[in-house]
Amino acid sequence: MIPEGMRDVLPPETGQLRAIEAALCRRFEAYGYGEVRTPWLEYAETLETVEDDTLEGGYRLRDQQGHELMARTDLTVPVARLAAARFRDRPLPLRFFYVASSIRPWAPQRSQDGEFMQAGAELLGVRSAAADAESVIVLCDCLAALGLRDFRVALGTVAFYTALVDSLGLDDDREKFLEALADRDYPLLESIAGNAGVDQDALKVLWRTLELSGTRDALSQVRKMASSDAMDAAIRHLVSVRDLVEDAGFEDAVTLDFGLYQDLTYDSGVIFEAYAPGVGLPIASGGRYDGLVERFEWDISGVGFAIAVNRLHEALEEAGAVPSGSPACIAFAGGLDEPARAMELRRAGWAVAALPDDAPAPPLPRLHRSGGSYVFEPADGEPVSGSWRDVLRARGIM
Amino acid sequence: MKLGLACDDGFPPAPVLDLLEQAGLPVGALRSVAGPALVDSGGATWLLAPGADVLEACVRGALDAGVVGKDLLLELAPQVHELLDLGVCRDVLVYATPEPGAAAVQRGRPRVATRYPLVTRRHFAATGRQVELVAFDAAPLAPGLGLADGAVELRSRLVLDEGIAGAGAPAGLRVREEIAACSARLVAGRAARALGGERLADLLERLRAAVGES
Repeated sequence: MIPEGMRDVLPPETGQLRAIEAALCRRFEAYGYGEVRTPWLEYAETLETVEDDTLEGGYRLRDQQGHELMARTDLTVPVARLAAARFRDRPLPLRFFYVASSIRPWAPQRSQDGEFMQAGAELLGVRSAAADAESVIVLCDCLAALGLRDFRVALGTVAFYTALVDSLGLDDDREKFLEALADRDYPLLESIAGNAGVDQDALKVLWRTLELSGTRDALSQVRKMASSDAMDAAIRHLVSVRDLVEDAGFEDAVTLDFGLYQDLTYDSGVIFEAYAPGVGLPIASGGRYDGLVERFEWDISGVGFAIAVNRLHEALEEAGAVPSGSPACIAFAGGLDEPARAMELRRAGWAVAALPDDAPAPPLPRLHRSGGSYVFEPADGEPVSGSWRDVLRARGIM
Repeated sequence: MKLGLACDDGFPPAPVLDLLEQAGLPVGALRSVAGPALVDSGGATWLLAPGADVLEACVRGALDAGVVGKDLLLELAPQVHELLDLGVCRDVLVYATPEPGAAAVQRGRPRVATRYPLVTRRHFAATGRQVELVAFDAAPLAPGLGLADGAVELRSRLVLDEGIAGAGAPAGLRVREEIAACSARLVAGRAARALGGERLADLLERLRAAVGES
């Protein structure tokens, strides 16, 4: 038995996941990101720097001195902590990536394992549309490099919403309203707006905006709705991010989505989510989080994303593009007694599982002795038998 | 396209089908089909199933869009986008108790029967009252049974269908409070919304036009 929401991962999936993770690491490195590994336990105080709902149920324990520790619930905060603690005297920008698991309390409706692997990249110290664009470009490059063709990155902005909500004149209820907006809790939104006496027409504009996504005229409609300089600026910023991503060669990958709104309290500018056919929830999400590193007393900006490796694997399965992780392994009955021959095969690039002579018939492909000769039974095609050299030659092994 | 229609009473609700037809979707074949079923009609695949199933399929990206009741969206708070109020199947979630005069037990913490535990808890908590929830699908019958002091249910369901043999109006319940207005809503999962692009936008546009007309 293992705790609810946890899972064991077995071959061949493990090999496939490793191949995916390795491919992602190569893409991150191609943009000059350096890998960091942070401990999975942090001081609870560190993670609580961010007021995030996901922390409430987080797993907590105490060390021998009685300090409260916590299993990390994501990597963005630990990376911000690490940057502020270790990189203050380095020239900006900083680029970090990680492939690591986080642990969150599991709930059946969340369709996410209690422990989940994320591959993410964080760009710290540049606040511009170009930096935002780089983050989206790296994400697109990662997904394209793995052979995922029909993915879409929905691009939105928190700035547009905060400006829109500011125009409603909510005062005291502003925070509550933004929270309900993140939860897409429309009835709560209506009741907050009702109590605050918000103009019904303004609310209608908000609902209409939430619906605007990926359509031909979403952008022109949103431009018409923009009623303040802050909203105009947010739209202009978003458009320039999209244009830069398209310049980098990802023309069809990005759609503007004005209904996009995430619930992470440290989001501050662009936000984006990647989707692929057959997977209902985002396979990656990211955004700008200016102000996060500042909570560790270093005022630098940041933008980044994290890919949910399991969901990406699912999407690749849907697309028939899962990288084959482990090479086909030849089961060599009697190989345990002939280590030299097994080694010969391995040196030629084959994987060989050596078995005792009398092992029950293993799955194909397999190799065994029969009298003085060898028999090789491939996974597809006719068996070959003869001397050791003959068998190897016939199969193109040597 | 893969679309879902909540039909918690067996057949898909006629007003929703009327609206879909006005929007140019050929759904005539669905009128005589009792859910749960998967039906191919007019170039689309339709899932006719309980609303909760339609929502689950939307959340997991198996449907492009679905039509479900607002009551369910309130209760389940699923990760979907509510795209359009279809304005049909209008109803109100209400709190109802037996007529005064019926022997009522005065409990400090009233018992409320409902199939909407989340909505009910929230409603009473928001108004500073504590209630004991009784999860009970046939909530309007609970007060008559002595199982609960009141029920939270859609107004239309306070009186059971008299066409059903043996069924009559349950223990004369009277509406005390209105909790939320409900109607049929068009929803889409997060992925469908991001990937559906023009097709979903087209469906939305046609339905919006149909809603405007009706």
